[in-house]
Amino acid sequence: MKLKKVRCGILLMVLNLFFILLCLLVLIPIGYAFFLSISSGNSTFQNTLWVKQVTLQNYKAILLEEPFLIWLKNSTILSVGTMGIAMGTSVSAAYAFSRFRFRGREQILKLLLVLNAFPQILSMFAIFRLFKNIHLINSYIGLILIYAGSMCIFGIWNMKGYFDTIPVEIEESAAIDGASPSQVIRKIILPLARPAIIVTAVMVLIFVWNEYLFATTFLMKADSYSLAGGLYQLQSNDYSRNWPIFSAASILTSIPILILFFCIQKYMVSGLTAGGVKG
Amino acid sequence: MKKKNGTLPWRFSLPSMVLITMIIIFPIAFTLYISFTNMNLYHWDDYRFIGMNNYIRALTKIDSGFLSAIVTTIIWTVLNMVLQIVISFFIALGLNIKGLKLGRLYKTLLMFPWAMPAYISILLWRVGMYNTEYGLLNKFITAIGLPKVEFLSENIPAFFSCMVLNLWMALPFLIMMMDGALQSVDHSYYESAKLDGAGWWARNIYITIPCIWPIIAPAIIMTTFTTFKQFDIIYLLTMQKGSLTGATLNTVITYAYQNAFVSNNYGLSSAVSIVIFGFIIFFSLFINRGIKGENI
Repeated sequence: MKLKKVRCGILLMVLNLFFILLCLLVLIPIGYAFFLSISSGNSTFQNTLWVKQVTLQNYKAILLEEPFLIWLKNSTILSVGTMGIAMGTSVSAAYAFSRFRFRGREQILKLLLVLNAFPQILSMFAIFRLFKNIHLINSYIGLILIYAGSMCIFGIWNMKGYFDTIPVEIEESAAIDGASPSQVIRKIILPLARPAIIVTAVMVLIFVWNEYLFATTFLMKADSYSLAGGLYQLQSNDYSRNWPIFSAASILTSIPILILFFCIQKYMVSGLTAGGVKG
Repeated sequence: MKKKNGTLPWRFSLPSMVLITMIIIFPIAFTLYISFTNMNLYHWDDYRFIGMNNYIRALTKIDSGFLSAIVTTIIWTVLNMVLQIVISFFIALGLNIKGLKLGRLYKTLLMFPWAMPAYISILLWRVGMYNTEYGLLNKFITAIGLPKVEFLSENIPAFFSCMVLNLWMALPFLIMMMDGALQSVDHSYYESAKLDGAGWWARNIYITIPCIWPIIAPAIIMTTFTTFKQFDIIYLLTMQKGSLTGATLNTVITYAYQNAFVSNNYGLSSAVSIVIFGFIIFFSLFINRGIKGENI
């Protein structure tokens, strides 16, 4: 029995060592960027691996010399706008697909899955040409519509799965008490389905915050760049000069997402799998 | 639960259906239309129908590059998925071993690559890791006295560089799903198996894997699709406008993108897109049959 304990202890030690190494290894790229963002001057060109002097000059440079705050504002407009439209349209649809049985329901759900598997890059040119004809290029509304349309399917499927797990009897009793369907959604379903709704909304937000390809293709004026577009420009110009500034910008851009992500982490598995298990 | 509410379900889902039709379905239909024309930069408005020519060019001419892109995509998807499933399974198992007190901390730290914005991670890796001048990897390599490695300038090293980055970015999701699934397995199974003398491997093969499969199967299918349509990594690492690295790695997605936005051959690109869409429909039906019996 004693021998077994010792073996267990050694195993745990090895395991701990393995995970510590793994975590370090995984965090190196992010850590290196952080290290560069607070190191002064051109230490990128030297072969040192240690900060000689901690400085915030790169952060100052990105905030004051580059239009970072404008990009931040644009990204916020895009994210919040998309979240509003995508959630506004998909919550009621998810409810309809979860609770009502109507003709074509299953076919539509399956069709949505197939459409969701279609990579949007492939129809980007078609969207571009269509939007050009109706003058939606270089406009936030155009881009918000694209984002909302592509996240709508995810929203419907994900929330429908969660709604399915909510017992229908609760609603029936509310309906008997005279609540209208939209009241039932607002007063009963939304509070009960909070994990799924929060996870879906945050996923939409993160998706928009992180999207660069459509943002750089559809918003071509420098003052309408989102964070993604701005950062993309920053590194594609002359990254040897801009690299420490770029790392500072990367860190600043990632922080809101990291905070959001870790706030909803506890909901993540239940909010994402309730839909998945049944699908 | 059967409700007949007339037009109510339609009224509830109408806004989203309009949005999806406008943003997803209509552009796909338009892509199909373009794929039968010779639309390109010189024929922006005065394009004409050329029948199946674009499809013939994509599928039968070896030098069009589409066939090699298909091969690359298949190797890319299969290799990435196998590695991801195996690695994430073992990491999740490790995280769930009894007595690992810091398990939660490790899990949180391992989630960072998932939480980071993808394009930022990729750009950070491009310069911070793989670059020949500033990249950390080359700093290490030269520090131990070996010649510099150009990670992105040739196809095979570039492929593996992209793969390592993809694993770094995609593993956290599967680890989290596997971890969630493992915690749902009933512990009494293991105890009775132990009494029957089942070893570690036997317990995993006969208990763990069958128990977690239904939970992680959707996550694996989802990851397979995202791996298949992975565009950002290959594009941002090797083929950004103005800073091509020399590698000519192409998956079907980057191939279609290049034809549309770099060589401006919209007809050919659309034909390729439709072919890819055909594959996706085919595989979706296949998967649908695989998980039949579960009610939607």
